Amino acid sequence: MFLTLIRRELLANLMTFRFVVAMVVTLSLVVANTVVLIADYERRLANYNTAVQRHAQKVSEAETYSEVEGNILVDRPPNPLSIFNAGLDRRLGNSIHVRHTLVPTLWDTKSHSADNPFLNLFSSVDLVLIFQVILSLLALLFAHDAIAGEREAGTLRLTMTNPVSRPIILLAKYISAMMCLILPLVMSVLLALILFSLSESILLGADDWLRIGGILLISIIYLSVFYLIGLLISTLTRRTATALMVSMVIWSTLVLIYPSLIVFAVNRVWQTPTQLESAYGEIEQIWEAFERERMDFLENDPVEGDNTGYDILKGLGSRGVFEPSDSTTLKYFKAESRNLRGINDDSESLVLHAKAYYQFAESLRIRAAERTGQVRQKALEQVYVRKANLAKNLMRLSPATMYDFATESWAGTDFHSIEDFISSVQQYRQMIINYFHDEGIFSSRQWFASDQGKIDWNDLPQFSYQRAEASTGIKHASGDMACLLLINCVLFMTTFLIFVRQEV
Amino acid sequence: MIWHLTKRELYDHLNSLRFAFTTVLLITLMIINAVAYLDAHKTRSQAYQQKVSASLDKMRSNADDLYNLVIEGPGNLYKKPSSLSFCASGGEAFIPESAQGGRATWSIGGGRSSLTGVWRMSYPQSNPNLWDIMPDATDTDWGNIISIVLSLVAILFTFDAISSEKEHGTLRLTLSNSISRGTLLVSKFFAALITISVPFLIAALLNLFLLYTSGSISLGASEWGRLGVIVFIAFLYLSIFLALGLLISSRVNHSSTSLTILLLLWTVWIILIPSTLGSLASGLQPTLTREEFDARRMDPFEKLLSEDGTGLNIPFLSREIPATKDTLSWAEYLTEEATVNEEVNEEHVNAQIAQIQLARSITRVSPASSVRYGIESLAGTGFTRHVQFLEQVHRYADEFRAFLIETDLADPESPHAIGPREGTSQKPVHFASIPKFEDRISFSGTYTAATTDILLLLLFFGVLFASAFLSFLRVDV
Repeated sequence: MFLTLIRRELLANLMTFRFVVAMVVTLSLVVANTVVLIADYERRLANYNTAVQRHAQKVSEAETYSEVEGNILVDRPPNPLSIFNAGLDRRLGNSIHVRHTLVPTLWDTKSHSADNPFLNLFSSVDLVLIFQVILSLLALLFAHDAIAGEREAGTLRLTMTNPVSRPIILLAKYISAMMCLILPLVMSVLLALILFSLSESILLGADDWLRIGGILLISIIYLSVFYLIGLLISTLTRRTATALMVSMVIWSTLVLIYPSLIVFAVNRVWQTPTQLESAYGEIEQIWEAFERERMDFLENDPVEGDNTGYDILKGLGSRGVFEPSDSTTLKYFKAESRNLRGINDDSESLVLHAKAYYQFAESLRIRAAERTGQVRQKALEQVYVRKANLAKNLMRLSPATMYDFATESWAGTDFHSIEDFISSVQQYRQMIINYFHDEGIFSSRQWFASDQGKIDWNDLPQFSYQRAEASTGIKHASGDMACLLLINCVLFMTTFLIFVRQEV
Repeated sequence: MIWHLTKRELYDHLNSLRFAFTTVLLITLMIINAVAYLDAHKTRSQAYQQKVSASLDKMRSNADDLYNLVIEGPGNLYKKPSSLSFCASGGEAFIPESAQGGRATWSIGGGRSSLTGVWRMSYPQSNPNLWDIMPDATDTDWGNIISIVLSLVAILFTFDAISSEKEHGTLRLTLSNSISRGTLLVSKFFAALITISVPFLIAALLNLFLLYTSGSISLGASEWGRLGVIVFIAFLYLSIFLALGLLISSRVNHSSTSLTILLLLWTVWIILIPSTLGSLASGLQPTLTREEFDARRMDPFEKLLSEDGTGLNIPFLSREIPATKDTLSWAEYLTEEATVNEEVNEEHVNAQIAQIQLARSITRVSPASSVRYGIESLAGTGFTRHVQFLEQVHRYADEFRAFLIETDLADPESPHAIGPREGTSQKPVHFASIPKFEDRISFSGTYTAATTDILLLLLFFGVLFASAFLSFLRVDV
């Protein structure tokens, strides 16, 4: 009996006009957007590759170690799964300077491509957005007349005259509708994967397949939420027209209006706290203290001999001093690069002074940078990350947003993945500092003078970044997934209880 | 008779659930919009004034020596915020708010010394929001309230206008009276139009009232005029979807089929098509890559380097009057370098604009894009406005350049070879006589820019209403 019911429902759903239209619309949108997104990904990958080359070239142009400090740039590769959910992958900066005088954060990133900045005016449509909007609509269209329609037509009473319990009817309806919803979903993903395989630049590892599987799973859970919302409305209302109307109102609010409204309101109403100002003051003090100690050292030059002071190095070569400051991102540091070319026998005695000075100054600089990094990280997190988290948590009242965030985590395009990249850049910075310490580079002549020949830059530690494993994605997605499952259960139970007690 | 029919429909609508939904939704959104923009304009105007005065202060300090003005240029030029930005935020997060007129220095001789060129205009090349970690969202401004909510509401009011009457048989009853089908359709159209306009107008007025009484905007005649046109666009856009709803409703026999078709059509046409086509079309006309752009910018400099093979030799410069040949040729080089550089910048930004313009024209197949672009132009925000700003910057740059030459010519102690310090007048300049940049929102320009969109919307409406009319005439009752 159960199977008969499922078969009946399945046929009833599959042969409808709405199913055909929704299928055609979904598939054509998926194909069109996948083509666009693949082209976009390929362009970003090409940009990334040229940027990596350009930045490697830049390192090799440096002649002293202090010069290379300003030339080390690392890049974030584009994520192929951003085709499923673009998340932050496309929009955020993807190139970052690695210096010992600044602990890099997300707020120091730049963009390595000179793409048209206005292109962001057109928001990108990724596959998850298509599922989120069209398939949830289809789920509601299937559900709105599931009970109300049969009640209107009187067939529900007819079915009940058979020896079949109400839960069975409900379950049959649910299973068959879900099968009809999974069909376009799976076909879309397959089509996208076929297009992926046609493109030579997209290489998916075993991990990526797991991630795609996860996205598929969460999509099914999400569609089930919307089907159950529709089913609940359908049991509660007497007429299909009313059920459909109420469903549409709820759908447009949950999917389209509410999430945007929250971001808009939080963006507008959130006042930037004064934490930024106080942190900026603190950072300025750190660097003032650094400057005082540095000047102290220069005045009481510990190297014995003629007490020349430091400025005598002036005129022997180029000196670059960078002191960028930005109070909105709390970027503040003092860096110094030297390339003394004019050292001759007369000025050779100064080299000792310079060595002593740099050995002292650079470790002082690193200490100041570490302390700045701590203050900065805390303040930026309290201001920007908290704001984003507030918006995200408020948005989570809508299952559509939960779905979006969960797929973002699965695809590895969420904030955590970007943070992951930043922390690997921070580790790379530490590696370089350790390398400099181990090789005694801060106190070496090659830190400031290029007269001993070219430096072999291949010995410098290389930056490598691997996207985090799928398990981290699962960890970050699990909260939203559990929530969606819970909503599923609650909705099913409510619908069940109401349906069981209802008069037919 | 037409009034009688309209009245009947009106009573039906006003008592319905969807009317309550529409009213609540529109009023909520408009109030949230008003609250969000309560002090937005004030703070933005203040920030603008501060930046402009900082830029002018810099110019004032440069004015003690004409040479400083020649190398520093006019400084940053800022775009004035519009008082109607609550109508359309116009993607302000992705559009730069300034253009830079500033100095350029290169290091030469392997970094031993540096060379300063003549000032040139440059335009920000990257997205100003590289670390914005907020989730993606559409702004709740008038443009989006109209383009998304009004169209959805229009569909909800018309999907069953004819099909449900067909289902219930009341259509046959009505038509048995001496009523032409045209009259019936028009009365249904007007009833829906009036039902939706009432809550929309109330919500809009509430929004304006909140903004106005809090003193955050001052509405003059021109603002009222533009707001009037925006409301007109809203009605036009609403009519398009009413006509579409009537068309589909008269073609199908069941109201649920009609709603299904309309909703899918709406989702694709309004929500997905504008973005999809935008990204698709912007691939048609790629701009320069970063390498090409950098190479072209360094072109004149590289040429100079390669002329004598070994490296750059700056000729001996002197302050003789008339200028020596060396000074003149060096001045000529510096001027040309700045001109070429600025041309490349300009060309690059123009190519970017052309790329976006093409994509925008293509996205206009969706009336949602048309309505957004039209409201943006009228509100004085968004892309069209940015293009107008860049045009003004261009004109001003020419004016400023002409001023420098003129002032230099007026100084008898100058060798009149603008570029190097030795060839340029070093007299202080009267600050008041320097042309200042002031960004103006040109009203004729905004109306012209909106005309295309209004005409397109009219066309959409004409076609859809005519087809609804024709298909209703042929309906079997």
